[in-house]
Formats: sequence, structure tokens, C-alpha cells
Amino acid sequence: MRILVVEDEKKVASFLKKGLEEEYYAVDCAYDGEEGLFMVEANDYDLMLLDIMLPKIDGLEVLKGVRDKGLTLPVLMLTAKDSVEDVIKGLDAGGDDYLTKPFAFAELLARVRALLRRKEREPAGELRVADLTLDPVTHTVSRGGQEVELTAKEYALLEYLMRHANRVVTRTMISEHVWDYHFDPMTNVIDVYVNHLRKKIDLNSSQGLIHTIRGVGYMLEDRE
Amino acid sequence: MILFKTIKFKLTLWYVVILVIILSAFSFFLYFTLADSLYKGVDNKIKTMAEIAASSANSSFGAGPSIADLDRIMTERFGVRPLGRFVQILDESGRVGDSSTNLRNVKIPISVQTLTAASKGKTTFETVQVMEKYPLRLVTMPITANERMVGIIQVGSSLEGVEEALHQLLLILLIAVPAALLVTSAGGLFLANKALRPVDEITQIARRIGSGDLSQRIRIKRVNDELGRLASTFNEMIAKLEESFRRVKRFTADASHELKTPLTILRGEVEVGLKKKRTLKEYQRILNSNLEETSRMSRIVEDLLTLSRADMGELAMEREEIELSPLAREVWEDLQILAREKGIQLKFMDDGFTKVEGDPLFLRQLILNLTENGLKYTPSGGEVELKVEGDRDQGVVRIFVSDTGVGIAKKDLKRVFDRFFRVDTARSRDTGGTGLGLSICQWVAHAHEGQIAVASKVGKGSTFTVTLPLKD
Repeated sequence: MRILVVEDEKKVASFLKKGLEEEYYAVDCAYDGEEGLFMVEANDYDLMLLDIMLPKIDGLEVLKGVRDKGLTLPVLMLTAKDSVEDVIKGLDAGGDDYLTKPFAFAELLARVRALLRRKEREPAGELRVADLTLDPVTHTVSRGGQEVELTAKEYALLEYLMRHANRVVTRTMISEHVWDYHFDPMTNVIDVYVNHLRKKIDLNSSQGLIHTIRGVGYMLEDRE
Repeated sequence: MILFKTIKFKLTLWYVVILVIILSAFSFFLYFTLADSLYKGVDNKIKTMAEIAASSANSSFGAGPSIADLDRIMTERFGVRPLGRFVQILDESGRVGDSSTNLRNVKIPISVQTLTAASKGKTTFETVQVMEKYPLRLVTMPITANERMVGIIQVGSSLEGVEEALHQLLLILLIAVPAALLVTSAGGLFLANKALRPVDEITQIARRIGSGDLSQRIRIKRVNDELGRLASTFNEMIAKLEESFRRVKRFTADASHELKTPLTILRGEVEVGLKKKRTLKEYQRILNSNLEETSRMSRIVEDLLTLSRADMGELAMEREEIELSPLAREVWEDLQILAREKGIQLKFMDDGFTKVEGDPLFLRQLILNLTENGLKYTPSGGEVELKVEGDRDQGVVRIFVSDTGVGIAKKDLKRVFDRFFRVDTARSRDTGGTGLGLSICQWVAHAHEGQIAVASKVGKGSTFTVTLPLKD
């Protein structure tokens, strides 16, 4: 899952990026409204964290711009103002949720999860395909009741595949949603990670869940 | 009952009480003067008749005329025969001699006292109850001949007319006065109500304002009467209140915003840091950053405290004579390091006699804030000049701080002294400003009966000028 953080206060942006990355999200930062608007258009983000008081273009204007361009990604607004009018303005301009500064980081994570879940119209709780389960809160994965140890990228990749289970996922989709701005499209790093994942998930099981769609990408599917 | 405590009730009550007093006094006066004059009129008439009768009795026709003669005389004198009047002639011992026909057989009694008075030549008036329900007014007069009483004449007149008239008057007064009172008090209440209705309206609006809606105003219908003036004064007061509430609200919103940013960083960094084990270097980075934010917060809090204490008038301002130019030179020397670090040339100039009366600490802060600001907004290679100049002719000392920095846009010039106002939020926070420095400068200048002004051109630089009264 790839997140764009638009926040002019560098230190806030920095701890947000760090904390979110540790939760296996791919995170990019923009430090003013203009940059934020440019980046949200250029890349396919799953969610945007948007500060309301921004230099150059105000956060509310950014939000209007995003919605005018037909982008439907969920937007979580961060605001230091907690007056009701500001909240109403933000939500009416197309915001999906808001948090008042200073916020608890754990709450921010929970809201991010909720917004992503809502985006995919998924029920809360574990993701499950056949006997493979993934818990987005504790980041634990198990196959046939047996816990599987994954690295951060492997986990992020598996989560993305599971959220799009039974659908073909292209390499471009994976690169856009699992990796951040610094991903180099010329490498075969995605295939390498998929192979790692396959070894950990499918090797000790009679049924393979990760399938390769030749020339296109991958698909996670319970074919039995 | 609330009604009894209202002004309109009290007003009406007073009005009615005063009216009761006036009307009763008037009624009493009317009744008694009328009664008096009516009684006197009767007395005069019967006295005149008695005198005529007495003088005719003394005439050459002999002792005592007959009543028939008397009737004739009366008719001659008064035109008509006086009705309701009774005449009785008695001899000197009080025995009734002759009496007018209308007395029929009734004798008017004569008291010993009256008889004695008559024998002494005195005329007596009295009111007696004889035959009818109305009393009789009676005059008893001696008839004298040669200084000797030869008989007594009594003339009586029924008081029927008088009593009737007075009774009628009393009746009218007893009915009309309360009726008039009733009508006027109703009218009074109506008038008081009408006059005081705007007061009720003002009260209602005030209540709504009291519940927090300061945008309410009283609609003024009549501008020039007392209530119109009250209403417009009230409106002006509310407008002022609204403005100052708005300012306070904006100020607290700004203050909370300023404090929330470092708090967000503190909390976020610590929370993320605690999520798992970190390296020593990472912990140090977090702690250093936290320290930075904490000191920024304490700076803001300190500045806020200074300003709010200044607002409350709690800041004690020293009043001593100080030379401004050495003070400014000190600031200049202190800031040299900062200027060199940024690669800015910081110049100092002084000219003339620069003694002022004031607080050295606050004046130092004023000069420091302005010069530091100049350094903050001037890029490397620029120039900041601090100049102190005494002007004997105008009796002022001027402090100039000019820079070759970014400048301030015209639309922002008016607001630079506003609390927490920032031309560019991001840049100002990077330089570590609290957004309160210039507000403090303005307060210090005003507290010294001075002025602060700014002139600026975007891209060229700004000049702040502080003018303080010169102390000779």
C-alpha cells in the first residue's frame, strides 16, 4: 500500500514516513501544496495524508484539485485547527477522515487501515485465501495454522496480492503500490521478491497459491 | 409577582398615587369652598331679610309689621316672594308673636342662649332641625327702638337646596374621581408599557448576546430619543466586544496552533521511536529533536506570557535614564557571531544625543528582536544596518533597522505587528521565530510613549523605525 504524505513541517513529515514505513507501507513525502498536487497526479497512491495549513497551495485547495481530477483515493486530513467549521470544510471538500494535531500515532495507523479497508470494501479483521491468513494489525502471516516469518517488503507484497486476490496484478501495479518513489523499474526486483514469497508460502504446502500469469504479472488464487 | 417589581408597574403606581393626592386635594377644596360659599350665601340672604324686617318693624307704622306686610316688602325688594324662607317675630320675652304663613303652626324654638344674646343686641346664626329632614338655617336678630330691644325677629331658610347640591357634588366626586383614576392608571400603564417596550427588546437581545451570540444587534427605530441613544450605545459596546472577542479567539487559535506543531512532533517522534528497539544514534537524534521542540515551545510560552502580562498591565516598567547608543552597540556586538555565520554584514551607526527614559531590559529586547529579524530575513551576502540617532529639534531618538532582505508585501505590512502573523509560515518556522517578536517590539515602543513603523519593498529589503521621546 502506497501513501503520500503532504506536510510542510519537515519533522512531522519525517516521523510519519518513518512510522508508516515500519508498518510496511511505501511512503512518499511532499512539503507544500503544489508538490503534493503534482505527486498525487503523477503516481497511483492508495491513500493521502494531507496537512491543511500548507504553503503555496492550501490543503483544502489541494483536496479540491484532487477531486476535480477525478481521483478517488482516500484522504486523511491532518489539522492543527479543531474548529468545527474547518472540519466541515475539509470533509465537504472531499476529505474522508481527519485527525487533529497532536495525534496519537497508533490512532493514525488505525485510521489509515480503516480507510484502506473501506477503499477495497473489505470487512475488518484478517485477510484469508484458502488456509493462508494475514492480520493487517499485528502483521502476522500464517499458512495452515503455521506462522510464517516475512520481511517488510515480502509482507507488503503479500498484503497487496491478498487484497487483490483472484485478480491479475501486473508488475506495474506492484511497483506503484508496494514500492515508493525510489523504485527502479529496470530491475527484476519484483520477480525476486515474488520468488522469496513463494518459497515461504507455498513450499511446505500441497497447494500453490501464487500463480504466474505469463507476460502480465501474478495472481493469488485458491484454485481448488 | 414579577409584575410588581417592573419599572412600568412602579411608574404607574407613582403616577396613580400622585394623581390620588391631587384629585383628593382638589375634591376636598372644591367641596369645602363650595359648601362654605353656599352657607354664607344663605346667611347673607337671611340676614338681609332680617334687617329689612327689623327696620320696617321700627318704622313709623308702629311696633311690628304684620307678616303680610313683610311679604309685600320682600316682594318689592327681591322681586319674587322668597320661597322656603320662614319669618317669625317674637316679643322681647321670646314669645312668638306673628309668623309667616308657610310656617303654618310650627314654632321655631328659641334657645335661652340665643335669647340672651339678642337681649344684648347681638345677632345669632344657628342651624336647627325643625320639621323636615333638612335642617333650617336661622338668624335671630333683636329689633331695637331707642337703644332698647322691643322684639326679636327670626328668619330661617331651609338648607334643602344647599344640602342637596353638596350631596350631589359629593356623589359626583365619589364616583368620578375613582373612575378617572381607573382610566388614567390604565392609560398610565399603557404609556409606560409603550415607552418601555424597547427596554424589553434590549433585554432580550442582551440575553441572546449573553448566551454567546455577539453578532446580535438591537434594531433602532427612533434614533434621537433616550432609548434610541441607549440602544446605539449598547450596539457600539457590543461591536467593540465582538471585535475584541474575535481578536482573542484568533489569538488563542493561533497560539494553540503554534504550540500544537511542536507537540505533534514531540509526540509523534517519541511514539514512533518507542515502537521498537532503536540504535543509540537514533535515540540521540530523537532526543535532540525533542530538545529543539521543547525549547521552541518554551520560547513561545515565554513570549506569550510577556505579552499577556503586558496586556494585563502587570509588567513593571522601569523608568530610568539610559543612553540608547551604548545599549544598541552591545546588541550589535552580541549579534556579530550570528551575522558572520550567515555571511551578512552587520553595521552599526550612532549620531547625537540619545538619552531616553525607560526600561533598559525591554529596550534591549526591542533592538535585539528587530536586528535579529533583519538577520533572519536577509540572505547570505546581504547587509543589515542598526542606527541610533538623536534628534534634538524634534525631541526624539530614532532607531533604524534596515536590511537588504526579502521584504514584505504591501498587503502584509499592516499585519506584521499582529500576534502570530507570518508572511511565510514555513520560512519563519525554519528560522525558529515564535511569531510574537514584532508584537513585543510594538508593545515596548508604545509603553515608552514611542512609535514603531515599517517600510518595505519586496526583494529589496525592509526598514523598521522606532521613535522614542528624547530625555534632556
